[in-house]
Amino acid sequence: MRRSQAALAFLGIAAVALGLASCGSSSGSTSGKEGGTLHGTYAAFPDALDPALARTVEAWTAMYDTYLPLLTYAHENGQAGSKVVPALAESLPKISGDGKTYTLTLRKGLKYSDGTPVKASDFAASVERMFKLNSGGSPFYTGIVGAEKFAETKSGGIPGIKTNDKTGQIAIQLTRPRGTFTSELALMYVALLPADTPAKNLTADPPPATGPYEIVKSEPGRGWSYDRNPQWDKANGNLIESVPGGHLDKIDIKVVSNPSTQVNEVERGSSDWMQTTLPTDLYNGVKEKYEGSQFRVEPTISNYFFWMNTTKPPFDDLKVRQAVNYALNGAAMERIYAGTLKANQQVLPPGMPGFEKFELYPHDMTKAKKLIAEANPSDRDVTVWVDDENPNNEAAAYYQGVLKKLGFNAKLKEIAAEDFFPLIGNQSTPDLDTGWLDWYEDYPHPNDFFQPLLSGESILPQENSNFAQIDDPKLNAKIAQLEEEPLGPKQEAEYADLDREYMEQAPWAPYGSRTVSTFVSDAVDLEDVVFNPTFGQDLASFQLK
Amino acid sequence: MDEGSQPSAAGTAQGGAGPWSVALRRLRRNRLALASLALFGLIVLLSLVAPLWAVHVAHTGPNTTHTLAKVVVNGEKREVVDPTGKPTGPLWLGAGGRFLLGADGSLGRDEMVRLMYGGRASLFIGLIAALLTTSMGAVLGLLAGYFRGWPDTLISRTLDVIWAFPVLLLAIALGLVLAVGGLQIGPVTIPSGSIWIPIMVISVVFVTYTARPLRGEVLSLREKEFVEAAVAQGAGSVRVMFRELLPNLWSTIIVFFTINVANSMLLESALSFLGVGVQPPDASWGTMIASGSNLIKSAPLLTILPGAMILLTVLSLNVLGDALRDALDPRSKLRLEVHAGLAEPEGTPV
Repeated sequence: MRRSQAALAFLGIAAVALGLASCGSSSGSTSGKEGGTLHGTYAAFPDALDPALARTVEAWTAMYDTYLPLLTYAHENGQAGSKVVPALAESLPKISGDGKTYTLTLRKGLKYSDGTPVKASDFAASVERMFKLNSGGSPFYTGIVGAEKFAETKSGGIPGIKTNDKTGQIAIQLTRPRGTFTSELALMYVALLPADTPAKNLTADPPPATGPYEIVKSEPGRGWSYDRNPQWDKANGNLIESVPGGHLDKIDIKVVSNPSTQVNEVERGSSDWMQTTLPTDLYNGVKEKYEGSQFRVEPTISNYFFWMNTTKPPFDDLKVRQAVNYALNGAAMERIYAGTLKANQQVLPPGMPGFEKFELYPHDMTKAKKLIAEANPSDRDVTVWVDDENPNNEAAAYYQGVLKKLGFNAKLKEIAAEDFFPLIGNQSTPDLDTGWLDWYEDYPHPNDFFQPLLSGESILPQENSNFAQIDDPKLNAKIAQLEEEPLGPKQEAEYADLDREYMEQAPWAPYGSRTVSTFVSDAVDLEDVVFNPTFGQDLASFQLK
Repeated sequence: MDEGSQPSAAGTAQGGAGPWSVALRRLRRNRLALASLALFGLIVLLSLVAPLWAVHVAHTGPNTTHTLAKVVVNGEKREVVDPTGKPTGPLWLGAGGRFLLGADGSLGRDEMVRLMYGGRASLFIGLIAALLTTSMGAVLGLLAGYFRGWPDTLISRTLDVIWAFPVLLLAIALGLVLAVGGLQIGPVTIPSGSIWIPIMVISVVFVTYTARPLRGEVLSLREKEFVEAAVAQGAGSVRVMFRELLPNLWSTIIVFFTINVANSMLLESALSFLGVGVQPPDASWGTMIASGSNLIKSAPLLTILPGAMILLTVLSLNVLGDALRDALDPRSKLRLEVHAGLAEPEGTPV
């Protein structure tokens, strides 16, 4: 072809290439329109809109597309969403032969939403900030050399993290091998923030973002809003292929405490999405009417249970804890959750590697009462803690009734959902006898259900997550040993044994695993909505029709 | 003039009958007041017989769950809560009175039993809180109005601080703080979750609404001759306040009491609905509205019934309060009508 024609052809090809490149950072769906505002609702304000502190699915859903760690979980549905992929790092970590050194390289040219360049040293600062805040995620990272000492002293830095801002290299030295560490580098706790981010809860004034959306307004208790991160299209979006760029221009989330009202709003179209799982009385009706078009059931790997404080009476007595397990009726719990719960009496939920079904405590009230008579606890005043979300509070009311049948003077304490975890995680809160909890997988590794919830090292004065406060050296050692090994069939079998061993100690009365739901208005294309098993609905996948 | 009687032109006209007898007679002639009294009495009776109903008719307690239970209705077994978590609706007398108004949700508690026990809690809180409010208000009003000077300044400014806060917000703030940690004043400890927490909170926030008007009345009464006479006879301050002034305030206090009961019940319902009053799973009409609101679409009665009970109770108390005011001090009605432009002031030439 003549030169001018070749030049035009080249320009045309370049234009197409540029167009394809900008499309590469979006979810790639062409079924809906770009732009617009999504109006969503939550039943309660998240526990924190600070990545270092947030511990709930609700908060992680809110921040999945805002704060990015070095690695992230693939923005995919189901099992594919459990795969760890690079985010701010160029690639997955290089792990040394002894399993103790992880080396990553920060992508060049990344910026926070306020225009500040992202530096490798921001990772060290973000991890230190997490420890300074006594984050509930700290136990995942105490294996870094110097981290335990830093967690106590809050000064002196963490010598196990070495960074080079010029090359972008980040080297993390562990005290011992840790098979789960790659997964843990993808958790929200270690999302990068500017090094000068204050070590205080920034829920009311969220820090700058690295993801496709930034939180531009936060009114704790009432709602928050996102705009597109201006640095995403200019810089980050072109570098991070694993994170979609989002279709919407704005996302407004408001707190609507009544789930029935949330359903009404979605049905009427005044709201486009409700994060809350449908209330039990409306679940089956909505499912029947909207399944496939606006409603979808999402399986989860989760555990719902009642923890019992093993350090104080009456639950310091094994017989009492076992009695509670015998007394709790899984069939009643399934009914309270209106078919969204599958009864399970183990630490590991179905679907988690290492799960092998067993039933140590089939429902038997007679046996339960016999065990209580044998234990004859002198202290029968117990407080049951629960958040105020339905039907968890009903489950706890049922549990209170069970405890009363066993002869306890059980008092129910319902706490606002946004205050629940901080309150029961603070050991200075009086009367922490027993209470409700749910735990959704952070990553597809059984350690996620043992180490943060049942290991002695997870008992913290604040932001505690081992609510049963069980600290069995033999079981702790087994957790530590299995943590070091890559997960294979042998390790899965050992986790199954560990599950049984813990349930023989009965620090919990687990009662089931739950499905959640995605319910959107007619304006939203349901097919596009991605549900990640760790982070929930992916806001960057939402698209208006 | 009898000690302890309130001057009343209409009373004198009755030809020697005491003012209380006159007031009673006026009240008996007010059919609306009698109907309100009867309605309130019925509501109180319903609440008082709650244990009898629970034991002998419903055979269950207010917090007993029946998630997996079945009940025989007209010879057929029916689940109290179906597998989808939907509770049974009203069975009326189909199950011998059990679940008369249905079950309250997936926990399968008897709605009628909870309604009756809820009334006990709401009425108890309303009555006791009103008693405390009125008593504290009367004492503070007497002290402030009689002594004036710095006691009046201290009391009035403290009441002004309480007055400055919106009642509901102040009550929620106090309730939240006390809901977790309870209350300890010296040797007195009120554990969190106790019914006395909302009683204390409501009493405190409403005291100013009683104390300030009573203070005004005391300021006016203390200038009367009978007070001067008592002082001249050597009566001390305490005697003057409680033997001379207080008897003249009874009619006002009684009216305030009835209105305070109504307001206290409304505030209790609001606090319980918001989770800082009566604590679940205990029943009060407020907590029942809160839990019923989760099922508003599928089982609206669970919200309507406790709401209706609050409405009827408050209405009957307000009507009764108005009637008592009219009976005890007919001139107050005239003053209101004059103020509203509906009547001419007393003494206006015809």
